[in-house]
Amino acid sequence: MSTEKKKMQRSAKRIKARNNAIVYIVLSILAVIWLFPVLWVILTSFRAEKGSYVSTFFPKSFTLDNYIKLFTDTSILNFPQMFLNTLLIAICSCVLSSFFLLSASYCLSRLRFKLRKPYMNMAMILGLFPGFMSMVAVYFILKAVGLTEGNNVRIALILCYSGGAALGFQITKGFFDTIPMALDEAALLDGCTRWQIFTKITLPLSKPIVIYTILTSFIGPWVDFIFAKVICRANADQYTVAIGLWRMLEKEYIDNWYTSFAAGAVLISIPIAILFLKLQKYYVNGMAGAVKG
Amino acid sequence: MRKKLSAALALLLAGATMMGLLTGCSSQESSGAEQVRLMVWSPSEDQSKDSGEWLQTCCERFAELHPEWDITFVYGVADEASAAGTVSQDPDASADVFMFANDTLTTLTDAGALAKFGGKYADQILATNSETLTDSLTLDDYLYGVPFTTNTWFMYYDKSVFSEEDVKSLDTMLEKGVVSFPFTNSWYLPAFYFGNGCTLFGDGTQEELGADFGGENAVEVTNYLIDLYNNPNFVVDADGSGIAGLRDGSINAMFTGSWDAASIKEILGDNMGVAALPTYTLNGEEKQMYAYAGSKAIGVNSHSKYMVQAIELAIYLGSAEAQQLHYELRNVIPCNTELLADPAIASDLVVAAQNDTFDNTSVLQPFVASMSNCWTPVENLGKGIRSGTVTHENAAEQTVAMNDAMNSNGIS
Repeated sequence: MSTEKKKMQRSAKRIKARNNAIVYIVLSILAVIWLFPVLWVILTSFRAEKGSYVSTFFPKSFTLDNYIKLFTDTSILNFPQMFLNTLLIAICSCVLSSFFLLSASYCLSRLRFKLRKPYMNMAMILGLFPGFMSMVAVYFILKAVGLTEGNNVRIALILCYSGGAALGFQITKGFFDTIPMALDEAALLDGCTRWQIFTKITLPLSKPIVIYTILTSFIGPWVDFIFAKVICRANADQYTVAIGLWRMLEKEYIDNWYTSFAAGAVLISIPIAILFLKLQKYYVNGMAGAVKG
Repeated sequence: MRKKLSAALALLLAGATMMGLLTGCSSQESSGAEQVRLMVWSPSEDQSKDSGEWLQTCCERFAELHPEWDITFVYGVADEASAAGTVSQDPDASADVFMFANDTLTTLTDAGALAKFGGKYADQILATNSETLTDSLTLDDYLYGVPFTTNTWFMYYDKSVFSEEDVKSLDTMLEKGVVSFPFTNSWYLPAFYFGNGCTLFGDGTQEELGADFGGENAVEVTNYLIDLYNNPNFVVDADGSGIAGLRDGSINAMFTGSWDAASIKEILGDNMGVAALPTYTLNGEEKQMYAYAGSKAIGVNSHSKYMVQAIELAIYLGSAEAQQLHYELRNVIPCNTELLADPAIASDLVVAAQNDTFDNTSVLQPFVASMSNCWTPVENLGKGIRSGTVTHENAAEQTVAMNDAMNSNGIS
């Protein structure tokens, strides 16, 4: 009897081990497939052979020249300038649009006013249209205000990226809704203003969603291509990284710039990667749900 | 946290605004001369210090030649291929003078953004350029730009593998070495079809005639291309594999344009050979390959506030003097007939090959609107041969299908 039992246990263990092995093998294969392109870009960025086409997956020799070229060879494609432009635009629009978004969500969640429902419906419907549909109109409006020339292009882009932020309130509002009203009421009784409730009670309780908002509103302008292309036009000194990288792949540049293009791609992923790593635990919480009262 | 954030935001915005304001204040000298503000767009190489600031140099010389105008130049970056898109987006806020590739001519004229050249200006342009070249910029008998270079592709080869006699025939070359051709690129592939009498829009301007790529002669070419692809000495050039092959020595000849000349010179050194397109042997007959040819030109915005000055500047930027400087600084191949007669320029291999191709082995790339339907079907045929879906058995059918697609806009 006991030997029988032991046998059963052993075979159960074996089955479990076998299943685990299969699962791990499948997952490893998938992980490799997913990481393949990333690895390839990183390898290419260190590749010493020139040109856009290679016959081997692993470079024959490695170098840092591609990175050095990005920052020293600035006469045709001024990467450092583009990087700074993008950073400035992304930080400004991140701050602005986070503020817009959080404020709008707070108002819709906590205040009751006549246009609340109509506003939410309108935002829902407007949100169904892709943003670049209005691109040409946005361009002409900015031009009329005089923001499409010289350094004003940066302001134009910041306005573009942050202007529509208040329409994407749905997730944040849902989060705020789960914070008990009783907290607000208690604060009101103690003499808090609405602004104080917002900054001293709601925001500290909603760290995950605040982080989530900051992340998404930073990444938007950081990787955007279409608006930047339409608004920058011939102002090369205002180019963002996305336009610069795209230009490196044009037929005149591709042979000389391809490996530097990969280096640029690696570099622009660094700020996003740092943001993600630092804020990851909040990010997961933010998506999972709200604080329980 | 909030205070810090808002302070940082205010600072950044203020900084951005200040920078905007500062550029607005340019010094204005008062003199008797007429104040003129000209915006000029060119590719960034023309303005970079490393390649000699061609545009700035020329504009300053132009200003010296015209003391009656006090010109402020504003430079912007737009290369020839994309300038048409940028200008037609908003001609009103675009450069007065810009450079464009002639295949984008209709984009610009449709947007009403190109000024016509007439009178003494037209005469001057016609006198110093070949007729084929000015034809490439003429629409409904109006001339729309000052040409400054030709735009086509030709052959680069390794002199240690092929002799000058060999490079006259593609089939001889394939016996002696490895040849790479951009088989899946529809700017290159039609060269074989043109060789066997296929035409696009009659002489290139007769839109109503459509594409004639579906006859018996076209089927013969498709069959030839299938054999060519299966030739062990033939390699498809895609995504830069041609130049990479040249670099590691696995390829001995490739087809591309003057933009790759510097890279190829670096790879092959003194062994670099350049030639116009070879012939190919179809059913025992020698057929000449024909490349698409076009031009790059300087255009004037019809919305310019300073029309006379803009036209004068365009003429100057396309003059022999400016072309010579362009050639010296950036190897931009000149097209001015007087300049081409100069022995120093005529002896340049790349210049000779490009002009030889332009004059003898090319067809003018049509710029009628329906041309936009012709690119994808040809590319798909090349890809079909590569993937093996186009075979000798269905070549006739597939060729006719390609022709049908070229003559249809896919909607009606």
